[in-house]
Amino acid sequence: MNMFITQTKAECLRIVRSPFFILFSIFMPLCFYFLFASLNGASTEIASTQYASFSLMSMTAFSLIGTAMSQFGIRLSFERRDGWVSLLKLTPLTPAVWIGSKMVAHMAVHLLTIAVIFSAGSIVYDLDLSLGQWLVCGLWLWVGSLSFLAVGSLLGTIKNAEAAVAVANLLLMGLAIMGGLWMPLHTLPMWMQKIGEWLPSYRYAHGAWNMLGGSSPAMLDWLILLTAGLLFMIVSGYLLNRREAV
Amino acid sequence: MAIAIQGKQVVKRYGGAAAVDHMDFTFEQGKITALLGPNGAGKTTAISMILGLVRPTSGEIAVLGEPAGTASLRQRVGAMMQDVKAPDGLRVAELLQLFRSYYANPLSLEQLLDIAGLHKEAKKRATSLSGGQRRRLAFAQCLAGNPELILLDEPTVAMDVEARERFWDTIRALAAKGRTIILTTHDLSEADAVADHIIMMAAGKVVAEGTPQELKAKSALRTITFRTNRMVVDEQFMSIPGVNKVERVGERVRLHVHHPDHVLTVLVQSEWGASDIEVTQAKLEDAFRALTGHKRG
Repeated sequence: MNMFITQTKAECLRIVRSPFFILFSIFMPLCFYFLFASLNGASTEIASTQYASFSLMSMTAFSLIGTAMSQFGIRLSFERRDGWVSLLKLTPLTPAVWIGSKMVAHMAVHLLTIAVIFSAGSIVYDLDLSLGQWLVCGLWLWVGSLSFLAVGSLLGTIKNAEAAVAVANLLLMGLAIMGGLWMPLHTLPMWMQKIGEWLPSYRYAHGAWNMLGGSSPAMLDWLILLTAGLLFMIVSGYLLNRREAV
Repeated sequence: MAIAIQGKQVVKRYGGAAAVDHMDFTFEQGKITALLGPNGAGKTTAISMILGLVRPTSGEIAVLGEPAGTASLRQRVGAMMQDVKAPDGLRVAELLQLFRSYYANPLSLEQLLDIAGLHKEAKKRATSLSGGQRRRLAFAQCLAGNPELILLDEPTVAMDVEARERFWDTIRALAAKGRTIILTTHDLSEADAVADHIIMMAAGKVVAEGTPQELKAKSALRTITFRTNRMVVDEQFMSIPGVNKVERVGERVRLHVHHPDHVLTVLVQSEWGASDIEVTQAKLEDAFRALTGHKRG
């Protein structure tokens, strides 16, 4: 147990001390948020809510997807390349405790990220959200980020760490733009909307947008996020096991 | 003698090529054993199999009475491998505390910082250390669990002379406390200086083993160095039975010989006026070349 706590603490420290985390998971999403909110008008009505609230959910989703892919996925790939994973295999630390503590650390950092971005939004703009809405939206984004940790774990199986960085960034940009996290989906060309609707990134933010408008996440939101999470977890688990066997 | 590690007919093939080829080996408890050989001899593969990182294609390895690679062995074995980068975002003390948390009976943080000689750097990020400091940190990491058996793969690469001396002192102190230490090296003088026992490897096989003295004796090479007051050509020396090679060192002649007694008799009885005669044992390097069949020069 001591091992698990110490390992989780260390993994947390490694994430929050990473300059990439500060830059791409906190600073950049906040910049985009304030930029888009001022360009479109913070109180402009969109999807039965105001733009500043709508975009706050999109940008929190963007931040968490980025953290899961880079701090979990890319880091895993680098740790394998740098011999860190083989070194840990020589210690009594079991793979289950190792991956488990990484996930717990991520969830802790994700919670912190949600708190920081939500606070920034609520301080700058007069957002008409009830406490209940803040909480369920935060909870949805928090739990939903697990699906993207699964995407990250698949990225982590890429042997060439530099390639993992490239793939992760392309994927993040694709998921963010096509999923309507930067510009609302209905402002995009029709063909992008057709694809975007099916992306887990869109479904992730869509659940939160729905709750802003007073309804709850759609069936399809749950379904796509769950399927994506399970699928990526199973595929990466399969790939790793197969590699171990050699 | 208590046996720490025993391997029987161990084979590891990568594709068609055998990195380790029907190797039998025994490592004694409480001793420093060097696994010596040129690059590509199979040293790292052998260590990886002992650690359970790589499974042998065939053969058996028993470590501290258990099959290699069991979970309970990881509490008792510490290893330092080559080419491991420090993880980003952690300070030296944090990294050592992390490793301490893995073990049931860890050494104290103070002891580990002592071993690494990194008290002043305890609050520095591990990634900001110099190559030699990082190596010392890796060494402290591998001792975090106070292991009975310590495996070190090319431990002194990137260490300067002073760090190396200090490192050997720590190793000897650990052996004196009953720890079993196994290290790989391609540096003969290192093996000669620190090991109680040397296992020489070439092309995936054990070619010779014994104490450094035994190995030097086994190769039976001696050098005889002397002055002469006549002009004698190399061919004349070479014609003495047992002479392998003739060298000129300034005004002195150096003969590499197999049977020094016989050659000395010939030298003294000759008319070459040999004086100032000195007989020395061959360096381990010469022994190594003789045993692995590498030609000199």
